[in-house]
Amino acid sequence: MSLFSELRRRNVIRVALLYAVASWLLVWIVNHMVDGLGLSPWVSEYVLLLLAIGLPVALIFAWVYEITPEGLRKGVDVDQTQSIVYKTGQKLNAAVAVLAVLGVAAVIGEQLLPEFEPPPPLVLEEIPLKPVFDFSAKAEVPREITSFNLPNGLKIIVWPDHDIPNVVMYNFVRAGGRNEYPGITGIAHFFEHMMFNGTESRDQGDFDEELEAAGGANNAYTSKDVTVYQDWFPRSALETVFELESDRLANLAIDPDVVETERTTVYSERRLRVDNDNFGRLYEQMYATAYLAHPYQTPVIGWPSDIENWTQQDLEDFFKTYYAPNNQTMIFAGDVTPEAIYLLADQFLSPIPRQHPPPEITTVEPEQLGARRFTLEADAQTPLLHVVFHAVAENDPDALHLELLLTVLAEGTSSRLYQALVETEQTALDISAWRSGGFDAGVAYFAITLPPGGDPAAVEAQLLDMLEDVVRNGVSDKELDKARNLRLASFWRALQTIDGKASALGNYEVFTGDYENLFAVPEQLATTSAADLRSVAAKVFRRNNMTVGVLRAPDDGGAE
Amino acid sequence: MRPVLLILLALSGGLAFAADVTLPDYERVVLDNGVVLLLSEKHEVPLLGLQAVIRGGSMADPADKAGLAELLATVMQKGAGDRNAAEFAAAVAGVGGRLSVGAGVESIDVSAEFLSRDAELMIELVSDVLLRPSLAEEELLKERERAIGLIGAAKDSDPNGLMPYYANGFLFGAHPYGSPTIGSESSLARIGRDDLVSFYADHFGGDRLIVSVVGDFDLAAMKARLTAVFGDWAPAAAELPVVAAAEKSAGGRVLLVDKPGATQTYFWIGNIGVDINYPRRAELDLANRVFGGTFTSMLMTELRVNTGLTYTARSVINRRATPGSVTIRSFTETGTTIEAIDLAVSVLGRLRDKGLSDEKVASARALILGQFPTRLETASSLANMFAFLEQYGLDRSYIDAYGSALEAAATESIAMTINEVYPGPDDLVFVLIGDADAIRDDVAKYGSVTEMSITEPSFKPQ
Repeated sequence: MSLFSELRRRNVIRVALLYAVASWLLVWIVNHMVDGLGLSPWVSEYVLLLLAIGLPVALIFAWVYEITPEGLRKGVDVDQTQSIVYKTGQKLNAAVAVLAVLGVAAVIGEQLLPEFEPPPPLVLEEIPLKPVFDFSAKAEVPREITSFNLPNGLKIIVWPDHDIPNVVMYNFVRAGGRNEYPGITGIAHFFEHMMFNGTESRDQGDFDEELEAAGGANNAYTSKDVTVYQDWFPRSALETVFELESDRLANLAIDPDVVETERTTVYSERRLRVDNDNFGRLYEQMYATAYLAHPYQTPVIGWPSDIENWTQQDLEDFFKTYYAPNNQTMIFAGDVTPEAIYLLADQFLSPIPRQHPPPEITTVEPEQLGARRFTLEADAQTPLLHVVFHAVAENDPDALHLELLLTVLAEGTSSRLYQALVETEQTALDISAWRSGGFDAGVAYFAITLPPGGDPAAVEAQLLDMLEDVVRNGVSDKELDKARNLRLASFWRALQTIDGKASALGNYEVFTGDYENLFAVPEQLATTSAADLRSVAAKVFRRNNMTVGVLRAPDDGGAE
Repeated sequence: MRPVLLILLALSGGLAFAADVTLPDYERVVLDNGVVLLLSEKHEVPLLGLQAVIRGGSMADPADKAGLAELLATVMQKGAGDRNAAEFAAAVAGVGGRLSVGAGVESIDVSAEFLSRDAELMIELVSDVLLRPSLAEEELLKERERAIGLIGAAKDSDPNGLMPYYANGFLFGAHPYGSPTIGSESSLARIGRDDLVSFYADHFGGDRLIVSVVGDFDLAAMKARLTAVFGDWAPAAAELPVVAAAEKSAGGRVLLVDKPGATQTYFWIGNIGVDINYPRRAELDLANRVFGGTFTSMLMTELRVNTGLTYTARSVINRRATPGSVTIRSFTETGTTIEAIDLAVSVLGRLRDKGLSDEKVASARALILGQFPTRLETASSLANMFAFLEQYGLDRSYIDAYGSALEAAATESIAMTINEVYPGPDDLVFVLIGDADAIRDDVAKYGSVTEMSITEPSFKPQ
């Protein structure tokens, strides 16, 4: 009797075959559980190991034991004539066949059925955070803006936006520090106050009281170029606003008693913003020094002696000329229709007569012939260093380029100057830079706050080195992208509110001649190159074009 | 889509407002670890506003280390996750975003505003700041020096901006509300990196966090992302600090901060007021609007319009978890200091004695209602409002029922509120910044005078 035939007789071969088929099926199931139910991969490895250990055990068991009608007996104890190993073998054959069929069916079924989809994993960050807004290049700002001119020359622009039941009015009066001369400096700003101080039929304060009672708030500001009046109100107050605005434009009372009280109020404002504020004091001196000829040299608040001395005639002349309808542009944004605005404007504003246009400002600041510098001694723990360069007007194509350049240099903590002076060298506490510029050429302005005991001359040298570097080497593409993105974000930020919309429309209309230019900003940003920024740097950052002002405590032992 | 509705009804004899100002819907989700998410979609412009609030804030500053929470907030932005300070700043600005961390008295807040296409980056940066700040020693040293220097610069250029620190210090004394959030030159110098690390461990964690996001995003995706990012954050090690209510100050007392050569005096007059849950909020808002909240207020009319003593005068009510301050603020030329203060005190007396006319109340009501929609116009302002309501446990009726509360405020109820909240003439705390030599003798009539120099390295007299 050969070993093989004895193995066969004792069903060891069949048991091995059954073990193999069952194991294969088990491994197949376990692997699918690992994939599908997210079990750990080591599960299938352990199953394989257990099956490998189990195989010799099963085979030895099959060799030694035999199934009999009385139960499990050792093969050697079984009467071979009574042996039923043949029947057991048949059962084993059947089991192998059934399992094999099941296995084949499962494999075929797996191919035929759609691929098994495991339940979604709990790793939630796989869901992308996509904007709903259309960022494609073709996407336009939704707008239906209407503009019209009254016969008296007043231009009105309307941007309906019904998101909230409110309206904003901006009235841009083309009168600012630029329109003043010795004797009447500060007069444009003074009118910003007087416009709230009564008309022929309304007392001082009535304007505010009537507007507030209708739910409206207001404010105003004066710059070197314009005076801007702002009303924010519920749409129910629209007619009240027209009534109040037209009354003060047509019938302003310039009451001499009120003028005297208001002089002291403006003086208080001057003390707050200039005389008791080291930054304000230095700022005033910077313009007075940088400009020799152009009226941008005068402070908007006015020189003290002018605040005290302008005359009734000065006030009346200024008002008649500059508050004429042909010298103003009005913007409405919010819950209104152009038709309603037109009808009210025609009723309330058309009767105000046109005036001779104001005298043109023809003075052009002559080319600066050399750097200017001064020191302002003051009670100061922290010295201030201000540096300005003559630059461009608002409608100059370089205005945007300069704005982007100053963004690269000084906007935020990632900017070049902040990183160098505040973070690395720690020679400054803070730095900011901005472009001023209206109808005429303004400046690029750098304002640096030094730590106590800081050395302004050293910081000036660092600043100039870095400006020379940008003239020589320009900015990187990454810096340009950053500046463009910051400007784009501020574009959208402005359009979030009806106030931002009115302000942006008015500024583009007044300073560039067409409010539509506002909507060209995204496209202009996209087409600006690093070369544009380098070229404006070369044009502006020249030593002969520079004014340096330092404010610091007096040296020990007295003034210089 | 109209997130805010205001229905205006014109009635005979003038305008009356049937106010129906409501908050837009937002989803509130509380995660297992206590993080609260507040989410609302808004698609007018491609922007996202996020406000993350960590309950706590400068009221958890140790008594001798005022400014710790604020300094921690500053240093948290100076490197987080895999980015160092410069890389972090560049990542924010590179896409035109804004991200800032600042401490208030009762919370540390992360405010972010990004273009909506950069939502992924915004969440990454905000979570890095909150969960993985580097708190590097060298950044602390730099920012500490800078913070000390900037206080000096403000003393030169903006003394009025420092008034709240002097005033709260003098009014609240040792109470946590009296501690300057920005710290002082001397307290900042005592703060080291260990202080930052232990404050962070004690007061940052999932149980303290509220995240509010409004803007151009898909709500389900944003919710899933914030859940994944913040859902596992462990709780803060310490209990949320609780402060006791401050006692009102009795009698008159004066703090005179000497700024030699100043040509004007900045003054502050006040006492302890009410907390954020004060039930007659509408009445108090109306009263304060009339007293010192607008161009036509009683204070502006007397101090600016009628006398030209100042450029501006106003009153402010600060409401927190426990009572904050009730204040009058203005400034005037040094020579008219007493005249202006006397006038302000007499206007306060008139408010308490005579109350308000129905006409003034109607005007204030119209103004508050008329301006209300603009306060909830942007994604960021809504995100801030949702977070504010959550932080103080207020529900949306704080906004939704406010219009009808303003309508219902009756004259007697307003008068009662005024006498309850505004201090009487004998119980006023005065804080003045100005040329002490010129005014020292005259201000003694307001109460016992404590004097300090603006150059002292603390906001409290030593």
